[in-house]
Amino acid sequence: MIRSVDFSKAVKAGAVGALAMEAVSFALRLTGIPAVDLAGELGSVLIPMDHGIGLAGGLAAHLAVGAAWALFYAYFIWGRLKWAPPLQGLAFSIVPAVLAILFVYPQLKLMEAHGDVLTLRWRDLAEHSLPGLFSIVVMHAVYGLVIGLLYTRPVGYRVGDTPHRLAKRRAFDRAPDRGRRNPHGFLFATGIECSYPTIDHGRWRRDEMQSTFHYRRWQQDFDLCRRIGITHLRYGPPLHLTFLGPERYDWSWVDEPMAELEKFGPEPIVDLCHFGVPDWLGNLQNPDLGPAMAEFAKAFAERFPWVRFYTPVNEMYVCTRMSALDANWNEQQRDDKSFVTAVCNLANASVRMTDAILEQRPDAIFINSESSDFTQPCCPDPKIQQRADLENERRFLPLDLIFAHELSAFMKDYVRDNGMSDEQLERFASRKVPRRSVLGIDYYEWNERLIDTHGRVEALGELFGWYVIAKQYWDRYQRPMMYTETNRMDAADAPRWLWRQWHNVQLMRKSKVPLVGFTWYSLADQIDWNIALTKAIGLVFPVGLFDLNRDVRTVGLAYKQLIDMYADVPEFRECRDVMELMR
Amino acid sequence: MTGFLSAHGYNPGPTQRPMTAGAICGVVAALPAVAVLWLFGSLEVEAKILSLSVAATLGLGFVTMALAGAAYGRIFGRAANDRRGGWLFGMAFGFALWAAGAVLVLPIASSGQAPAGPAALGVCLSLMVWGCALGLLIPFIHPYLHERIETAKSAELGPNAAASQSARRTPQGDGPKC
Repeated sequence: MIRSVDFSKAVKAGAVGALAMEAVSFALRLTGIPAVDLAGELGSVLIPMDHGIGLAGGLAAHLAVGAAWALFYAYFIWGRLKWAPPLQGLAFSIVPAVLAILFVYPQLKLMEAHGDVLTLRWRDLAEHSLPGLFSIVVMHAVYGLVIGLLYTRPVGYRVGDTPHRLAKRRAFDRAPDRGRRNPHGFLFATGIECSYPTIDHGRWRRDEMQSTFHYRRWQQDFDLCRRIGITHLRYGPPLHLTFLGPERYDWSWVDEPMAELEKFGPEPIVDLCHFGVPDWLGNLQNPDLGPAMAEFAKAFAERFPWVRFYTPVNEMYVCTRMSALDANWNEQQRDDKSFVTAVCNLANASVRMTDAILEQRPDAIFINSESSDFTQPCCPDPKIQQRADLENERRFLPLDLIFAHELSAFMKDYVRDNGMSDEQLERFASRKVPRRSVLGIDYYEWNERLIDTHGRVEALGELFGWYVIAKQYWDRYQRPMMYTETNRMDAADAPRWLWRQWHNVQLMRKSKVPLVGFTWYSLADQIDWNIALTKAIGLVFPVGLFDLNRDVRTVGLAYKQLIDMYADVPEFRECRDVMELMR
Repeated sequence: MTGFLSAHGYNPGPTQRPMTAGAICGVVAALPAVAVLWLFGSLEVEAKILSLSVAATLGLGFVTMALAGAAYGRIFGRAANDRRGGWLFGMAFGFALWAAGAVLVLPIASSGQAPAGPAALGVCLSLMVWGCALGLLIPFIHPYLHERIETAKSAELGPNAAASQSARRTPQGDGPKC
């Protein structure tokens, strides 16, 4: 799989484009220009004996060819050029135009000829009248403009719509679940990428489980986990499709996958809110988010009482930053007040969801995943230093709230200035954090950043590495930890990255930090994460253990080797930190 | 651009055998293509142009299609396994073969002689049918030829990879078997 393509949109665009070509040809001929009549030419070749049927057949053939070219555009060209879509289509139209001039049109003439064999001269290949050439170019340009105009946003769907239902569960030979043999083992995890924020000011829903075909291939996905020895799966059922309103749920998106996971594994770490909220809740600025999400968490825990691991809200800092500071998702705001409001609402949701789950399942384990960020000032410029300090304080804000960690004086002023009341602060600060709360730390090559001399933020790559950055979080919260996400955009370099991150994990364990698991994220390639889901392009982000055809990548084999090598080593098989957490 | 495309789908996976799969499917896909050639009377015309018997032309055709299938598997790699788009990639490849082989090379190899009339249409359609069948078949046949995940091992993917610089230098690190 090289692209996520909307077939029906491309076919329609191509057929309409071909019709537009025919209309242009007709119009040119009306004005006296001897334009090429492609449908007529095709018809006379395919059905030479009857002009009427021939024309209809020719038109049908032309529409089919138009559709095929549009699919080609959708797979190979769309979104690659940073131009307006009609211009992308126009640029693409050069390809079919050149092929039509050099091959197709001369060959159509040859096919219309009488006799079986002709002797060609080179000049026959390029024999066109100037008006004929002109008409071919103009017709293809119109075709390109039309498909460019019509084929847009191939992934996701309009807010309010729903994707195709889940594929039906079927019987097949399943690989055994390694985690079940080893209940106190270290967590070797992966995840199903399940982000569902809205973009385009709340009009378009990104749905990674749809874009990566999980709704169709969910059973195969779980089996692939088992085949490489994954013990735990970070899995986020689609909140926006399941939670339809107060006390209204559509569990059909969840029941069968959860039944499969319950019976065959791997054990899920259920991710209840992943970068988006249901349509009816609007966005993160909604103060009703907390009680609503608590209601959902309670209903989920009641329905699936066997689930023990939860991530109430995934990467709160990333979610609030992208939504309220960087104007990319959901409310798409760009101010500190919106950011603080979003953090307050989401942290409140996380706390209330945790409490609601604990009512149903007192021994639940909470893996609170958060992105590990670090910002380095490039120089002693006070303004740049100040900005880096703000970023390095702000990254902790959501975790500070849910882990009842006292905010620094600077951050207290910051949140008060931006609308958080003392009463709200006190409520978070006085919270009794559940014992089985795990600090999940995600790390990618772009998490360490530099503020350069121009004040621009640049990715630093792996400067200090996960160990150093995650240690800052450990020093602050002193909670059991898990490495909850990592991957590498360069698929060829991914095995190297995997092992290097694993050595970070080993070093952390040697430093006596309780560490319960490691995660390569995600199982399959993702879509459009190279542009942080901000546009619906459909580009594959090749970070998965498997590609979107579900063929293994080198990092999938490397992770299997890693798990095979370590899962039965005593300190990982009977992991003290996991046993302590489960106690 | 090439690196980008490689990363996003063309490099075959480590357990795959794209050339073997392509060669096998190339031969199987030649069966409907031959039927089209026969239907349009193109087979005899091609044999006449090549000055070969029909049987020898058929034999040459199957060998060519096996090689072309292997080339398709190598060029398209991971993308050839796409069940939704495979037929389209195959047809594009069939079109390219037609344009390069039947339209350019065949006349050059036979002093300018080329099929005409229905025979020319048959040649064009047969290569499109071949490409479409090839692209459709590979995603279904290739999995049977994969090395199993459970047994696939490579020293390059083990712990030594942490210190490896080769993966960084070689963008084709997701290499196939053959």
